[in-house]
Amino acid sequence: MFDFVFDTIYFASYSNFYGLSNISLSLGDVLLAYIVAILCSIVVALLLKLPLFPSKPYRYSFDVSAIYPTPIIAIGILSIFLVLNYTFMFNGLVLAVIIGVLSALFVKYLFDFIFPTPLDDNMGEDINE
Amino acid sequence: MNEVIGIIIAAILCWLNFVIVDTYFGLPEQPGVKGARIIGKDVEKRGGDIAGGFFQGNILCSPDASAGTLMASIGSMLLGIPGGILAAFLVFIGNRLCADPGYAGTTGCLTATAIIFLASFIGLTPEMFIAGMVIAIFTIMGIDQARVSVVLGKIARKFNRHARE
Repeated sequence: MFDFVFDTIYFASYSNFYGLSNISLSLGDVLLAYIVAILCSIVVALLLKLPLFPSKPYRYSFDVSAIYPTPIIAIGILSIFLVLNYTFMFNGLVLAVIIGVLSALFVKYLFDFIFPTPLDDNMGEDINE
Repeated sequence: MNEVIGIIIAAILCWLNFVIVDTYFGLPEQPGVKGARIIGKDVEKRGGDIAGGFFQGNILCSPDASAGTLMASIGSMLLGIPGGILAAFLVFIGNRLCADPGYAGTTGCLTATAIIFLASFIGLTPEMFIAGMVIAIFTIMGIDQARVSVVLGKIARKFNRHARE
């Protein structure tokens, strides 16, 4: 009567049930999905109170921020879905929004556990001096 | 386009891309890791420039824009333009594993993807960019390290990124 597994898989394979997902996806759609993913990740990261820019000095800072690396992670994950021909609904826009939100959450709460900041420069073993 | 001419043009584009991005993000300024410092000192001892030596040490020790350009070419050859962007993500992970913030690597990868996309309109294929990038890295690391480091030091001084030591 209510086949949960089948319904879930059917819904998740919404637009590629017949394996024809990317035929309708033009270059403009892909570009729009990337832009949506970037904007969505930045906006959600700002809502989660991440700073917009990394802390100073800009080019050597390990701190996460809304500009870097949140959009990089979002468009990277979106690329994986695109090259696997999985674009969910509305030419990939829903997927872009979901990935943007999830990447902002990842950067805010999980990033420091997975990529911890390296130790102080003077802590390592120096073989030269 | 003729393959040889294409590889030469791609090598020039790759060289400009990764040297400009790496210099802008301060590779000649300071050695990010211990190995880069040792290479820089060694190059200086052989008559080179300390900033150029740090540059060479940094691109050897962690994936910066040079590795980003190569990865973007390989990703574009395998998977198209999304492959180049995926390569930027992978370079970012590799940078963080090497205790590097990763600004130069990801930026270089994204600019290289953009260059490959634009160059595809005049007939340059990603394969030419792979060969060109290997040639470009060979000119930096393989022919004469000391003399190239002087050139890199001059470029670094022009960008106001010379080593502060």
